[in-house]
Amino acid sequence: MDIKMMFSKERVSFDLKARTKEEAIDELIEMLYKDGKLKDKESFKRAVLKREEEFSTGIGMGIAIPHGKDSSVVEPCITFGVSKNGIDFDSMDGKPAHIFFLISVPEDAADTHLHILSFISRKLMHEDVRQKLFNAKDFEDVINAFN
Amino acid sequence: MKILAVTSCPTGIAHTYMAAEALQIAAKELGVDIKVETRGSVGAENEITNEDIKGAHAVILAVDTKVDEERFSGLPIVKASVKDAIKDAKGLIQRAMAMEKKEYVDKVFEAKKESKEKITGAYKHLMTGVSYMIPFVVAGGILIALSFMFGIKAFEEKGTLAAALMDIGGGGAFSLMVPILAGFIAFSIADRPGLVPGMVGGVLAGKLGAGFLGGIIAGFAAGYVVAWLKKVIKLPKTMEGLMPVLILPLLSTLIVGLGMIYIIGGPVAAINNAMANWLKNMSGGSAITLGIILGLMMAFDMGGPVNKAAYTFAVSTLAAGQPSMIMAAVMAAGMTPPLGVALATLIAKDKFTEEEREAGKAAFFLGISFITEGAIPFAAADPFRIIPSIMVGSAVTAALSMAFKCTLAVPHGGIFVLPIPNAVGGLFLYTIAIIIGTLVTGFMISALKPKR
Repeated sequence: MDIKMMFSKERVSFDLKARTKEEAIDELIEMLYKDGKLKDKESFKRAVLKREEEFSTGIGMGIAIPHGKDSSVVEPCITFGVSKNGIDFDSMDGKPAHIFFLISVPEDAADTHLHILSFISRKLMHEDVRQKLFNAKDFEDVINAFN
Repeated sequence: MKILAVTSCPTGIAHTYMAAEALQIAAKELGVDIKVETRGSVGAENEITNEDIKGAHAVILAVDTKVDEERFSGLPIVKASVKDAIKDAKGLIQRAMAMEKKEYVDKVFEAKKESKEKITGAYKHLMTGVSYMIPFVVAGGILIALSFMFGIKAFEEKGTLAAALMDIGGGGAFSLMVPILAGFIAFSIADRPGLVPGMVGGVLAGKLGAGFLGGIIAGFAAGYVVAWLKKVIKLPKTMEGLMPVLILPLLSTLIVGLGMIYIIGGPVAAINNAMANWLKNMSGGSAITLGIILGLMMAFDMGGPVNKAAYTFAVSTLAAGQPSMIMAAVMAAGMTPPLGVALATLIAKDKFTEEEREAGKAAFFLGISFITEGAIPFAAADPFRIIPSIMVGSAVTAALSMAFKCTLAVPHGGIFVLPIPNAVGGLFLYTIAIIIGTLVTGFMISALKPKR
């Protein structure tokens, strides 16, 4: 399983400036857009916020995985961000989120990509994987956390 | 102890899998055997089988979408959301473990039920298709009937509301009826990849004039073709992504489409021609015999090729507005199938599902409007009991209409034409003929249908 294909050095930030949930989503989307993986920021943001309305993707344990499925997405990928101070993301456990995975999926994603995303989602439930993510200093650390 | 679980979330990208993993981690910690079926955007994975259900203690449904609970009937169910599973998987599993296992007697009963379900696997697929089709029939039929209220030929005037209603009901909803039936039969058999060849096969059935019976054939063919392709095509891992988006839809649609055109299409066209000629020859003979035959034909496939042959023949007898006995018999025979099933849902309530009883009310309305298609959902769900019943009822009605020498001067309209002066000859006896046919069909279905 090639996890690397979902990430890119261009879409990683270890110092998110955002202070609120919406700002965090905006900041992550901006990275995604600058990397050329998104055709329409607003359209994708709507999809992400619509998903958040159902219930927050702050899964607790300091992690949030906002995601959206939208035709404006060029190809399935993940944008990764860390907030040192933590951001209130309406998480399930009420605690601020520090680690963010923005998952973007086009309407017609191939199963291979969806399989990788499901693999990553599963990994996030493991304590040791989360620990490695919290300690990650650079892009390689993030990738290695999943291996 | 073995626990089963199903996880599913609206987008099916992340939470479905996180919930599954959380449950698996918790089960490991608790020393419990668990099998988790994920229903995400890739479709169902690690599917729970009947074998699993037999050996399981309880099932956890951590879902935010609608999932089929019926297959677990007999197992205690812990209902939760994916959120609950991510937050407190341990708690869910402990709750599932604390559930009481069903009594021995219940288990025997379930085993019986299960064997019955196996025999009727095809029936289940048929019912799936039918339940998706019903709303199309109801919405389309009622819109067509509304168009008739403006006058039987009002829709022929372009730009009028009556024309729009006919377009929406007839051109829109009704034209989707057979594709939806075929598509969801295939969907039930082969999951999502079945939908494309099923619906395309259904559209072709309509185009070829093979009607809803052709659609049922297309649906089953599509479902089993996809299931077969899935089994025989082995791709390297890297190419697997092509299966659901390219290979399965393309090949299955090609196979089903060619099959429909070359195997089903030819005979249907030949039958259509043969019937048209045969009816022409028949018209010299006994009026009552002709009535019986036309009645049988009208009810046989409700809008399919046999029905169309009888109807077209009748319309051709309406030379320049001249009232025709044959037209009268054909319209009466086309009204009694939906009316008869509607009656049956009233006199034998316990033999129909809730959904069917509701559809029965709509069928009544479609029946009085001479929209024979109103009976299709019932016929598709149980063809071997319903079709003979409505054929007998329609034959009786048409024969009586001929015997009473009733006539009709317009080609369509149901009861809406009855009050129009000179449209119907022998109005009272005509009504009697329709009522008797309805009673025959209604009571015959009630007698033949088994208790649910």
